[in-house]
Amino acid sequence: MSDSTIQHHEESRDVTFRVHRFNPQVDSKPYFDDYTIRLEKGITVLRAINYIKEHVDSSLTFRAFCQAGICGSCAMRINGMSKLACTTQVWDELDKAREPGVIKVEPLRNLPHIKDLVVEMDPLVGKMQKYSNWVDSKMPEEQWGKKEFLVSEEEFLAYDKATDCILCASCVSECTILRAHKEYVSPAVLLKSYRMNVDSRDSIHDQRLAGLVQDHGVWDCTHCYRCQETCVKNIPIMDAIHGIREDAIERRGTKDTSGARHAEAFMEDIEKKGKLVEATLPIRTNGLAWTLKNLLPMAFKMVMKRRTPPPPPLVKASKGIDALRKEFKEMTSHVGKDHEKKSGE
Amino acid sequence: MKPFDIVIVGGGGAGLYAAMEAMKTNPGLNIAVLSKIYPNRSHTSAAQGGANAALANKAKDDTVEMHIFDTIKGSDYLADQDAVEVLCSEAPKIIRELDNMGTPWSRMDDKTIAQRPFGGAGRPRCCYCADKTGHTILQTLYEQCLRKGVIFFNEYFALDLSVDGSRSRGLVAMNIKTGKIEAFPAKTVIFATGGYAKMYWNRSSNAAGNTGDGQAITYRAGIPLKDMEFVQFHPTGLRKSGLLVTEGARGEGGYLTNALGERFMKRYAPEKMELGPRDLVSRSLETEILEGRGFDSPAGKYLHLDLRHLGADIIKSRLPQIREMCMYFEGVDPIDDPVPVRPTAHYSMGGIDTDNLGRTVMQGVYAAGECGCVSVHGANRLGGNSLLDILVFGRIAGRAAAEECGKFNPTSIPEGELAEKELELRSFMQPKGHYERYGALREELGHTLGMNVGIFREASKIKQGITDIERLKERFQHVRVFDTGDIYNTNLLQVLELKNMLDLAETVAAGALVREESRGSHTRTDFPTRDDEKWHKHTVYTMEGGHPKIGYKPVTMGRYELQERTY
Repeated sequence: MSDSTIQHHEESRDVTFRVHRFNPQVDSKPYFDDYTIRLEKGITVLRAINYIKEHVDSSLTFRAFCQAGICGSCAMRINGMSKLACTTQVWDELDKAREPGVIKVEPLRNLPHIKDLVVEMDPLVGKMQKYSNWVDSKMPEEQWGKKEFLVSEEEFLAYDKATDCILCASCVSECTILRAHKEYVSPAVLLKSYRMNVDSRDSIHDQRLAGLVQDHGVWDCTHCYRCQETCVKNIPIMDAIHGIREDAIERRGTKDTSGARHAEAFMEDIEKKGKLVEATLPIRTNGLAWTLKNLLPMAFKMVMKRRTPPPPPLVKASKGIDALRKEFKEMTSHVGKDHEKKSGE
Repeated sequence: MKPFDIVIVGGGGAGLYAAMEAMKTNPGLNIAVLSKIYPNRSHTSAAQGGANAALANKAKDDTVEMHIFDTIKGSDYLADQDAVEVLCSEAPKIIRELDNMGTPWSRMDDKTIAQRPFGGAGRPRCCYCADKTGHTILQTLYEQCLRKGVIFFNEYFALDLSVDGSRSRGLVAMNIKTGKIEAFPAKTVIFATGGYAKMYWNRSSNAAGNTGDGQAITYRAGIPLKDMEFVQFHPTGLRKSGLLVTEGARGEGGYLTNALGERFMKRYAPEKMELGPRDLVSRSLETEILEGRGFDSPAGKYLHLDLRHLGADIIKSRLPQIREMCMYFEGVDPIDDPVPVRPTAHYSMGGIDTDNLGRTVMQGVYAAGECGCVSVHGANRLGGNSLLDILVFGRIAGRAAAEECGKFNPTSIPEGELAEKELELRSFMQPKGHYERYGALREELGHTLGMNVGIFREASKIKQGITDIERLKERFQHVRVFDTGDIYNTNLLQVLELKNMLDLAETVAAGALVREESRGSHTRTDFPTRDDEKWHKHTVYTMEGGHPKIGYKPVTMGRYELQERTY
């Protein structure tokens, strides 16, 4: 134990919390309230807003429960980033503040707003139900309790990290796809789906996967990695998303859905040209009829603005394509070997 | 609203298991789970260490019989032996059942569920998933309830049991999102609302909402509470926040040391050392501090939990969340530095008086988990037995309610009760000449309990505590809720929770004063020994004129005779 933690603890200063306020019963639109309080170093954001509620403004509304980073209640946006108030140090946030000494506190995004810092969690629960985020055991219920499943430590480790998820919805709040499409499955639900799919005790893997490859499912993710950067439990969420995709291609092939075809078209182009042949990408992904019906107006606009991609014959292979193809071959042969190894086990 | 067959209050381990088991017992029943938070937020998630079961995966010679004996001895012989037998013999079955439904567990080399040593246990029988066992069990139960289509009323705050003579008509609750008071007429109600140790406030490891709502509601409805004076202090709360460092940290081999660098447990439990039962280890820490061998800091006196010799690998793989918590809340990485700890109020052994099927004296009303008192923990609970308790008795109560609800006729809750409740809640919001802030009362309640009804107790101090609580109850009449809105009024909820804590605090202090002996977690410096002749009995409390009236109940004995308790 270093004595320095105690000394730092005594450092204190005024801090302003600029808090998003909205009570639908009386307010026509949201606004910000500034609360300036004197705080000691070492205090968390949750303790600070608890102090404000108790001593300054009792109507300030937020969720909080365990105060120890395990229940997931107090996720909110602090200085523009979704995180748990109970594990966030005020002093760390002061370093990140845009306006000196001011910490901005807002509700999570991508979920319906209820009041001040409280958002509706039901849509997330609904998606957990839609994508069967549970183990449907291979063992019939009448036989439960009689003997353990035998599970290797390696298999446990495959879903260990994913079961750290506390459903705080920070990843949901930061997800860029959800901002565009509220129906999108969401990172937390993909993570949980993956966790169920790699559990050998589960019996509905194929059915769950079939749901995940549909519209608003696993192929809609654009790999922005915001979920993973945000995760308060440092869970590699993108590994789970990639895991589901690999699984989908392996079990359902590359012709299965537009998502899988899109991935295959990418691969094809990279091998042939070292870059994308964008003009035909929609056709290869969604077919000619779909493309004509859905993208013709956009193509027309692009022509008018002279922003059309070059026609396929004009897409020349990149410089150094030979070296790239060599690498590509080696990589794909590795993947092939890995798969053989996996299926051989 | 159409009457329910079963309304379950609380969505933690006990409530969710009860719901699942009730649906399994009779899929045609109309069952609802009410919870003031989303069920996956429940405090079950904070249980780190694990759940005891004599699976004999680790120690091949472990038996249910040994688990029973350890639990009875741990309880300082106040547990009912028939109830303990149910708890321990159901344990292996329920852990396997959890595995069968998909709960993640750490594994042994032979692929069976891993087990670790825990305090007060003769064999390593605590089944675990790293240091997040409660979290993974809670997640799994919630997932399984979603799979089975259990109907949830999330963010509903239970207010009252509606009572008609000797039976209950159902529950009155507030929809937190709208502020509307709603009736839940029900043939049976199961309370599974968790413990009441948050009344110690800053000296508690509990979540903010562990305010004993179910116990307070049933107590006010005339149902007796039992053994309320027994509050367990966990030896290793973090110095600044009171948050918990799991007993698993000592199970993995952690040392407790004082300012002289001694492993002081050699003075108190030479054989078991750091793995003595919690009451004993907590008293040992407190004694070290009182006798001047603790460390001093502006955040209070403390001792060291030293994990450094375990090495970075063990700490990272088996205690990852603990490491995170030490870093977030104390600024200490246990790989490099010892962790500053002191005892913290952690668990309520007492609760709603029930029989072995979770039934209370009122027809159709059940309780399970930390909210109830069967009693399996007696005067002191063993680590790893609380998760087990909520699972085993949650399931039993769910099954009992499902089997018995057919006996009761559906009924309705008079509209007048809702209107009356509405008026009562509104009255908190009216401007008053002289008013009190709930925060101040709550701080003072925690302070007086910690000072006067804490680890070491004596008559004069407890009396001071009782006087303080009575004054706080008077001042509570003037508490004002400043948020006058209907939608998500957490200010109102905090006040209602404080009311529950005040009523229960009175029973804790009253029980502590009458029990003139030292047993388990209840230590009277003026009566330092266990007095079986006078006090080998349960304390029972009923509310009369707003205050507790104390009675007694015999302890059910069995194979094990009273013995002196040494470790």
